[in-house]
Amino acid sequence: MENCYLGIDVGSVSTNVVLMNDQNKILGKVYTATQGKPIDAVKRGLKEISGQIKGDIQVKGVATTGSGRHLASMIVGADVVKNEITAHGIAALNFVKGVRTIFEIGGQDSKIILLKDGIISDFAMNTVCAAGTGSFLDRQAARLGIDISEFGQQALTSKNPVRVAGRCAVFAESDMIHKQQLGHNQEDIIKGLCDALVRNFLNNLGKGKDLAGPIVFQGGVAANAGIKKSFEEALNQEIFVPPHHEVMGAIGCCLLAKEHAAKKNNTNFQGFEIMNSGYEVRGMECEDCSNLCEVVEIIRDGILMSRWGDKCGKWSNQVKSDVEKLA
Amino acid sequence: MSVKIGIPRGLWFYDYFPLWKTFYEELGAEIIFSDKTNKQILDQGVKNCVDEACLPVKLFHGHVINLKDKVDYIFVPKMMSVYKDEYICPKFCGLPEMVNHSIKGLPPLIDTEINFSKSRKSLMITAYRFGSYVTKNPIKIRRAFNNALMAYRKYREDVKDGKLPIDGEFSPKKPSVVANNSKSIAVVGHTYHLYDSYGSMSILQKLRDSKVSVIVPEMMNMNKINKLASTLEKKMFWSYGRKLLGAALHFGESREIDGIIYISSFGCGIDSIVEDLFERWSRSHSIPFLLLTIDEHTGEAGINTRLEAFLDMIDWRVNHESDLSPHG
Repeated sequence: MENCYLGIDVGSVSTNVVLMNDQNKILGKVYTATQGKPIDAVKRGLKEISGQIKGDIQVKGVATTGSGRHLASMIVGADVVKNEITAHGIAALNFVKGVRTIFEIGGQDSKIILLKDGIISDFAMNTVCAAGTGSFLDRQAARLGIDISEFGQQALTSKNPVRVAGRCAVFAESDMIHKQQLGHNQEDIIKGLCDALVRNFLNNLGKGKDLAGPIVFQGGVAANAGIKKSFEEALNQEIFVPPHHEVMGAIGCCLLAKEHAAKKNNTNFQGFEIMNSGYEVRGMECEDCSNLCEVVEIIRDGILMSRWGDKCGKWSNQVKSDVEKLA
Repeated sequence: MSVKIGIPRGLWFYDYFPLWKTFYEELGAEIIFSDKTNKQILDQGVKNCVDEACLPVKLFHGHVINLKDKVDYIFVPKMMSVYKDEYICPKFCGLPEMVNHSIKGLPPLIDTEINFSKSRKSLMITAYRFGSYVTKNPIKIRRAFNNALMAYRKYREDVKDGKLPIDGEFSPKKPSVVANNSKSIAVVGHTYHLYDSYGSMSILQKLRDSKVSVIVPEMMNMNKINKLASTLEKKMFWSYGRKLLGAALHFGESREIDGIIYISSFGCGIDSIVEDLFERWSRSHSIPFLLLTIDEHTGEAGINTRLEAFLDMIDWRVNHESDLSPHG
């Protein structure tokens, strides 16, 4: 029987599940679209990963991260619930020795994490604007009628990139349309867009920071060779994309779960059987005060599991649950 | 029948409410505060305010609407300048006009101008103008104003002592059991961000729940801050900004805190400069710095993630310094 650790990263666009053994070897990984249904995505992820497992394993610890970490934790019974920044930092440190800077671009978030002597020394996340993240690229690819997986390769063929405004996604889009109407080549526009996103990222998040190498680029957008190239051109140094770049958050979770298991030898994991349970979500607006909180109830197989969303705690406190403090 | 005066729970409220409340109550008026910020106030504020204003100004409009049908007067002074050669944000200067033209059917506003940019000689005249809405008796007004000043000083002392006026009500004093090794984090920003728990998504409470001892600029020695702020190359003439920059210099010098969280609202003109300077100075002293920008968001996930990661990072640093790295 092999000891294993499960890491789950529920992001805005993708839900990633990774199973890792004691030697930090990845036994299985799943990258599946969240599609606005995090519960289904987690169940699907568990189903797929259990299909990938060969041999006899025992899950010794589970950790969740991502914007849906609390929800996922409630469903699978996680031992550790961690923010994405810490999870990504830990993963990069364990897979790329001596990493100093991490770029992470996901579906709605982009972040920069600086490390010094093997610990996180600084980080920044995009603020109120999500311009230049994965979901924006998805949209533009769809508008150009090409598959997102070809997007990066097309950019690499560009010989004469056009300039696209990168400050704001809405402006970028209108600028792009304008350049299309002028008759520019598609690959030049795509490369221009990659350059614009990189420019925006470095100005916004990298402002005033010392971006020392080695630089690791991870998250779903790291699959985009065009963006990687634009980063390399802008910073004039090699950008390293780790082999499991798209699931680094989940890998960080596995490492956190392993650390937890080393200290405490029991897990809250509910078992893979939960993927067969029926989950139901009910929402309501509490009208007891003028805050009109949007309260959400999670029901598993007819049993109320958790509630959250109320500011006063009236509803969530009624349910005895590990996940009272929900975002 | 006493005169009913409504004070909106927004903007300068957290700086001065004990002063004004005491003043008018001493004169025999009845004071009504608007409700604590809630969703309805936010919605109403956003709907009834010019589009490009910052969140706190929008919230203020919501608070005015909340008071509209309950009072005889609404207190919206025209705050031009409180200290010599210093100003407050332009939105404060034009607040009575903004409110009056954005919201229909308001009771009369108490919109007396406060302007001490030249000197404070006009202080008593200003107080008299404010008082004249209730009484014309100058002796009564003078006495009320002196009592109000006492209440105000007491309030400032209390805050300095560690009581946080969250939503205008004192939270219990510092958590009684603060572990010895707890982190102390400075939370800086304009008072109307820090203490409005709805607008700031309860950041102060969240930090206290995580056993962090919170330091706000109001807890610090103002003389010292003023002195440090006067060392700046050029005079910072925005009062809020000056206080923050002085605090930044102090933190860099004293090194008694483990991290700084700056709360700013989206679109704040003053913060665009002050925040950036603050960040640069903190970094040059290698003090961990986190900027939280607030706007109309009600999803707390983003704020929570950043807070958690920030606290993790500080823990990690502290542990690392004592060579007890918990990670590989």
